[in-house]
Amino acid sequence: MTETLRVLIERRAAIINRFKEDLIQRLNLPYEPQDLHEDVSLLGAGLGLDSLDALEIVLCVENCFGIKIPDQNTSILRSINTIVDYVIARQEKRG
Amino acid sequence: MRVSPLKNRFVRNNASFSERYGIEVVTRVRDARTEYDAVRETVGITDFSFMQKFRFPEEAGLDHLDGLMAGNVAKIRFGRVLHTFLPDDEGMLLADCYIANSDDEFIVLCESIADDADVRRRFLAGGGRDGEDWTESHAVIGVDGYKAWEVVRQLFGADILGLPYLSIERYLFNDIPVRVLRCGKTSEFGYLIVAPQELAGALFDTVMTIAQSLNGSLCGTAVHNDLRLEGRFFNIFAEGREVRDPLALGLQWMIDFEKERFIGRDALVARRSAGVRKKIIGIRAPDSVTFETGKTLFDGDTEVGAVKAACYSYQLNASLGLALFESDVAYAGLPFHYGSPSGQVVQSISMPPIMPKSLTVKLDEL
Repeated sequence: MTETLRVLIERRAAIINRFKEDLIQRLNLPYEPQDLHEDVSLLGAGLGLDSLDALEIVLCVENCFGIKIPDQNTSILRSINTIVDYVIARQEKRG
Repeated sequence: MRVSPLKNRFVRNNASFSERYGIEVVTRVRDARTEYDAVRETVGITDFSFMQKFRFPEEAGLDHLDGLMAGNVAKIRFGRVLHTFLPDDEGMLLADCYIANSDDEFIVLCESIADDADVRRRFLAGGGRDGEDWTESHAVIGVDGYKAWEVVRQLFGADILGLPYLSIERYLFNDIPVRVLRCGKTSEFGYLIVAPQELAGALFDTVMTIAQSLNGSLCGTAVHNDLRLEGRFFNIFAEGREVRDPLALGLQWMIDFEKERFIGRDALVARRSAGVRKKIIGIRAPDSVTFETGKTLFDGDTEVGAVKAACYSYQLNASLGLALFESDVAYAGLPFHYGSPSGQVVQSISMPPIMPKSLTVKLDEL
């Protein structure tokens, strides 16, 4: 693996793993972290989570990374990957 | 070859047809952009009669279907729909299925990549002998789009707006019951209307009259390949057919690993325990690249992935794809070389990459 990829992967994988573990515990999901594909839809299709679960996801991001998700921002909550993108963007903004 | 009871209506509209696993399907009716815009901006009407369809009485159907499907049929609440799949003995994909628990019956709709007759035999053999094969006796009309809800509201009344995603309800059309499933795969509003063949023509004409009043269009199945990829809905006719392993495709959410018995369970559990070695993720091309299925992706000199599905996104003005990567590099936000170690740089991306207009509509507030 090239060094460029290794650095990018390490950062992203750390965020993904932390988030998945907390999400599974909070929502009592019957899956192991490796069962959750990062693109799986969180609300509606895919995992089929509801609006109460969405609140837990928001709390999960806050708890894991100290980052608040704006109210009503459904685009961020669409998949694990869209959440991770938001976390990375906010971390970069913080510096 | 099985043909749709609605075929003549599409012939009259100069549709093109193709064969898929022993079934004739409508490929295209208008140009790709017109069909795409119909769904993303208003409504597209598609003939989904190619699906295999079954009705099982509740009691007999429950055990039988639970023994076939990867998902847990026993956990489907009344009025709800389970999205799962039919595996083969090796735990590989045969059919992408909706299982609907509708009062005293289960309604099953399948998109399969196995021979039509083989799929129907699997559902109706053994414990399925009490089931009814609706494959040729019923039509399925797909209503998809930002304004799809308006079509079904005019057809069946305002109550239908309360139907949540993945649910089923019976309605009357010309005093004959039809089943309506809310279950689109375009990321816009979507409904499948299952109607007996003798009713299908009149229902279809009514649906089209309403759709045309909304500037909607007839659609073929080809545009759904693009819409599904853009919205990151699983497509058994694209990446599903190419990969076939539900674990590499990220379909673990369709599987109940705690269920003791279903076809292909042992193989799936063994592969899960061993760890998934390959994984599918989204990719986006720069302006100068159009993805092609089968082309490879490189990290330095090392081949690390291959394109398994591709489409052009009119919303993003870019070629999108799904590629199967070695798991250790299967992450979004990475650069890879396309086609050769010195090929153009493309990016792995987070899916879904678009924000559909339908997500801005709250049906319960209309």
